[in-house]
Order: sequence, then C-alpha cells, then structure tokens
Amino acid sequence: MPQDMPPTGGYEPVQYRRNLPVRGFRPAYYLVALGAVMTYGFWRFGQGIREKNELAREKMWSRIYLTPLLQAEEDRDLVRRTLAAGKMERELMGGETKVYNSDRFVRPTYAVTPANVTK
Amino acid sequence: MSARQPRFNQHLLIDTTPLPSSIPSVPEIGSSSAPLLSASYFIGARCKPYNDDFMQCKTDANGTGETDCLREGRKVTRCAASVLEDVNKSCLEEFRQHWSCLDDNNQQLWQCRRWERPLNKCVFEKLNIEKKIPGAPENEVQVHLRKRQIFAHSMTTQ
Repeated sequence: MPQDMPPTGGYEPVQYRRNLPVRGFRPAYYLVALGAVMTYGFWRFGQGIREKNELAREKMWSRIYLTPLLQAEEDRDLVRRTLAAGKMERELMGGETKVYNSDRFVRPTYAVTPANVTK
Repeated sequence: MSARQPRFNQHLLIDTTPLPSSIPSVPEIGSSSAPLLSASYFIGARCKPYNDDFMQCKTDANGTGETDCLREGRKVTRCAASVLEDVNKSCLEEFRQHWSCLDDNNQQLWQCRRWERPLNKCVFEKLNIEKKIPGAPENEVQVHLRKRQIFAHSMTTQ
C-alpha cells in the first residue's frame, strides 16, 4: 500500500549554521573618505565666502564712487526747497524765524501746505 | 522738508520753485540706477579729485555743508556728466547692453560679466579708463576679471 515516505535519497542538508558575512571596507577607509568629502566641501564653501566678500567690496566701491554725485544733487534740491520756504515765509510772515542760535542747517519741523491744491 | 516725512493720502505736494538765479545752474544727470552703476567705476576713476574735494568740504563745513559746498557739488556733477557723455559717444551699444542686463538682474554686477567685459575693453581703449577695485588682495585676480563667477545663475551670462 503507498505511504507518504521521504524521497529515496533523503532530503538535502538543512542550513542551520549562521551565515552573516562581514561586509564593507575597513572603518579607517570610511573615515578617510568622510574627511576628504568634508574637506572638499569646506574648501568650496570658503571659496564661495571669499568670492562673496570680493563681490561685496565691488558693490561698496561702486556706491562710494556714486555718493558725491547723488549727494550733490540732493543738496541742490534741499537748498532750493529751503530758499523757497524762506521766501514764502518772508512773504507771509514778514521775516524768517531763527530757531537756533547758529547758522547750521536744521530741517524745519513744520511744512507749510497750500490751502488749495491744484493737482 | 519737515523732520518727519508727511504722508498725504490724497495728493503729493512738491514745491516747484526753481533755484534763485544767483546760484549758477548745472544740467542734472537724470540717469537711472543701472547706467549709473554700470559707469560708477569710470566716474570714480575720472572724478576722484572732485569727489574728494566735495566730501572734504562737506566734512569740514560742520553743519552748513549743503549751502557751502554747492560749488564743489556742481563740479562733481559736471565731471560725472562728462564721463557719461563720453561713454555714450564711444561705447553706446556695449553700455546699453550692460545696463539693460543689470536692470534685468536686480543690479547684481556678477550676473552681467559677459557684457561688462566688452564694455570695459571699449572704455579702456577709447577713454583710457580702467576699472580697478581698490583694497582687493593683490595676490588674487580681481573679481570682475575672473573667468568663472561662482554665484551667477547661468553659464551663458558670465
């Protein structure tokens, strides 16, 4: 009568021992690679910082060269408006009020505004 | 004109009275920021004595600088106007391309080196003005002459 028997040659051997092979390079190599990548990264970072400083220097000098031009223009405008305000005050009030005891230019606190604005 | 700028929500008040005729008038520059930035190093190279005179006058004036240094200010404006006029006469196309590029790039000089090189070359040949950044370390190439701009957005505009 047929029974459920094992095969005639027997089963193959079962793996019961551990198989955990140690992989990877030596840890020193990893540290060296880490150091190399970090050094390269920091070197490029420093290059970028230095270039940024040089660009900032370029920007500052271009502004320094333009400052007298712009300041002269603004001064002319300021003098024009101060003289016009003084003239208006002399017409309206009969004289200029001297706020301080020196000739230093002081920006006035109040500005006269016209009653009827045309624009 | 007052210490705190007044904010009118309905109109803008500008006093348009001109300068009295006792003060000589000078034609204003009337340029926007990109052409001025583009020409700033040329203005600085040619107008150095006038600029220094003006700033020295302002420092020495001790409060009355605005009214006392008008003469030096006129000289500064005339010199810068002459620089801009010369650049316009001799290098107009390169100048225009450079400042248009600056207008498109937030006035960042490092994005527009491609157009700055021909402009510098043309100005050096025709007007004999060289762009040099003072105070830069001597052992390195100056940043506007470097082949590769690290922070430029694309390789085509460097």
